[in-house]
Amino acid sequence: MNVIGSPYNMGMLLLAVPIGMFFGAIPGLGGKLGIVMMIPFVFGMDPIAGAIFLISMHAVVHTGGSVPSILFGVPGTGADAATVVDGLPMTRNGEAGRAMGASLGASGVGGVIGGLFLICILPVLRPVILAFSPAEFFMLAIFGITFIAMLSGNSLVKGLLVGFFGLMLSFVSLDPNTGAERYTFGLLFLWDGMDIITVILAMFAIPEMIALGVEGGSMSLAGKQKGTAGYKGVFTGLLDVFRHWGLTLRTSIMGAFIGMIPGLGGDAATWICYGHAIQSSKNPEKFGKGAVEGVIAPETANNSKEGGSLLPTLFFAVPGSSGMAILLGAFVMLGIQPGPAMALTGMDIVWTLIWALMIANIVAVFFFIAFVPMLGYLSYVRGSLLIPFVLALTFLGAFLGHRSWENLIVLFVLGGFAYFLKKYGWPRPPFVIGIILGPIAEDSYHKAFQLWGYEFLLRPGALIMIALIIGSVGFYIWKSTRPKKEGVVEYVG
Amino acid sequence: MLKKITILILFSLLAGCSQSSNDSNANQPSGSAETAGSSSSGNIFAGENLNYIVTTNAGGGYDAYARLIGRYLVKKLGGDNVVINNIPGGGHIVGTNTLWKSKADGLTIGTVNAGLIYNQLIGVKTLQFDISKFSWIGKAAGEPRSLVISEDCQVQSMEELLASVEVIKLASAGVGSASYLDTKLLAEAFDLNVDIIPGFEGNEGEMSMMRGEVCGQFGTTSSVQPFVDSGYGHFILTVGGEVEGVPNAMEFVSTDKARRIVSLIGALSELGRVTAAPPGTDPEVMERLREAYTATLNDPEFLAEAEKMKLPIDAASGDTVDQLVMAAMNQPQETIDIIADSVRVE
Repeated sequence: MNVIGSPYNMGMLLLAVPIGMFFGAIPGLGGKLGIVMMIPFVFGMDPIAGAIFLISMHAVVHTGGSVPSILFGVPGTGADAATVVDGLPMTRNGEAGRAMGASLGASGVGGVIGGLFLICILPVLRPVILAFSPAEFFMLAIFGITFIAMLSGNSLVKGLLVGFFGLMLSFVSLDPNTGAERYTFGLLFLWDGMDIITVILAMFAIPEMIALGVEGGSMSLAGKQKGTAGYKGVFTGLLDVFRHWGLTLRTSIMGAFIGMIPGLGGDAATWICYGHAIQSSKNPEKFGKGAVEGVIAPETANNSKEGGSLLPTLFFAVPGSSGMAILLGAFVMLGIQPGPAMALTGMDIVWTLIWALMIANIVAVFFFIAFVPMLGYLSYVRGSLLIPFVLALTFLGAFLGHRSWENLIVLFVLGGFAYFLKKYGWPRPPFVIGIILGPIAEDSYHKAFQLWGYEFLLRPGALIMIALIIGSVGFYIWKSTRPKKEGVVEYVG
Repeated sequence: MLKKITILILFSLLAGCSQSSNDSNANQPSGSAETAGSSSSGNIFAGENLNYIVTTNAGGGYDAYARLIGRYLVKKLGGDNVVINNIPGGGHIVGTNTLWKSKADGLTIGTVNAGLIYNQLIGVKTLQFDISKFSWIGKAAGEPRSLVISEDCQVQSMEELLASVEVIKLASAGVGSASYLDTKLLAEAFDLNVDIIPGFEGNEGEMSMMRGEVCGQFGTTSSVQPFVDSGYGHFILTVGGEVEGVPNAMEFVSTDKARRIVSLIGALSELGRVTAAPPGTDPEVMERLREAYTATLNDPEFLAEAEKMKLPIDAASGDTVDQLVMAAMNQPQETIDIIADSVRVE
């Protein structure tokens, strides 16, 4: 009632939604920077109104984030990158409108189902969250890393090599166990590791723009008359979400659950859900070529994970995602003290924020639907007009995260490398898996080993995860070795 | 037509982008109205923005203090606006390097993390500053440290911990962090039979205590207070401040080495939330900054707002900060060796 019952609070929510989507839609800005920039705005505001503003803004960041991912292959964050894999091929096929419709529907439904899931799990939240120790985080990270195989397309060897390169780059930082400088070459900006946003922009934005420049034309290879950029395509995409209701439901819940476990990070949720979509599909060969399920899965997870990560943030003051880490600080500045006492004294705030989260996701769908067809036409804009604009935003995004010019060099070097990966048909998603999950696996391994030695592998939770990994890989191998109806799995990114 | 629409969209996006950058300062009140009398020709702050460097991302404790203090400080100085400049990275080093190299005209100030004293003592090469040469403006609050123990732990008091033959696991942040070094030094001072498990950032250590993996952690009292208030644990020792019913570390000191280490941790705790200007700032300008800073921290309106935001205030002058920094930097080789050993890579 704090949300709908108060015109002021509802006004805050309505104001926050377009701002959040704007930050999400600009590559490199993203939700984290959005909250950072909005902190002065909410500073000194009524705590409930300020918190509603921030959570509503953060809830819909990825709804906006799908736009550049689908239209230009330019994801703003690691989580949005999973949408590129099938979203961009859909644009190439002239289905930008359908892809954005599917993304919009999936985001809205994911956000709402994620919220409902949280309400259901609230009574058992504490034991569920506390059941995950560093041993389980490590096994979950390994589970995610096995998805490299599913994202490798027609060459497992190429996928593994790229994945390991991503893992290797994730080791650039201060060693979390010894504090030693590791591949930092005495450069201070590498102490905190490679900036994920810069790396994601380098791996996806730069190669797509170079390719567009070299090939000429527009992002959509299909003629305008064949395309589905208008409302028709958008509604087809929206219906796709309900047509694949099983996948929508599963990935919404998976996203919320992974988001709820602090230690794994929100970026992992979308990739694990994308991998699950391939794994559970009857036609895995369609993925990477423009399968609408490849857009639905990461987009549902993208929005539901934010709800999931809200719970540990509020009840344990341990953020479930990097965005929530900043939100946590903002809550404290507003005078809301997240932590164990929240369950005793702050349930009013918890309910308010969960409702705000769900309502914001619904509002975002209606808000955005009017703009989608117009945005879809951007896929027909000539490359020579588009490239300077996208590149400017890419450089801005790489710089803004840490305000470090060195990141621009990383962007150039890694972007050039990624272009050749694209040109010669090497898959890029395994790289993202490596660089996102590498640090989680390393950090949780060190903790688990110091706490229990190698016996951590025998903990019940870890054994369940090992069984899950073996089952998942075995199922995938069994499916891959069955005779296929048509073609082979091929990733075009 | 399409071209026009595209250009229009691009333009509005760019306009929006620049607007959001400006928004970061949009809510900062203008100080000129309240300090009309101070806008004399001799006021170098009149009509100028005050650039406040924060060495962490927005949203943290340092950021909260800087935003609150900055708003009032700029009013007292008669300046226009305060511009919060978050420069995170390298465990506060990047931002502090930037502050060190900033123009010493009084218009740029910044937060400094006292834990960097550890880094300077052992000669970390990426430090481009000499922490003892900053022009200290003042301190807003101390950050007393406390040792918290979970209710499920096999030891429940400092006496039991000192006598424990069983290895007690304590959580800390990453190796080399101030939290890790504080914990390591405390263990050295009292020869504690503990195993420090690093890598627990923020409140992750508390979750680990709830899961029964570690027994406790040594960190800032304020950050673990909600955990204690909820009944999951209790403090058994405090350094650099007073917590009701909790013994001070000095009560257990029996050697010179322990006394020196506890004093060092205590000094760093005292220097919790300090603000400095670049070295070589004109003494007259420093005087203005210190006066305005002190006036800010004694402003009833400011104190009420700080209380609302749960930001404790325990002010001290720039001179006091200077003396505390000099005292903390004056360590015998034995203490420096202990710090260096703590972060030495095998």
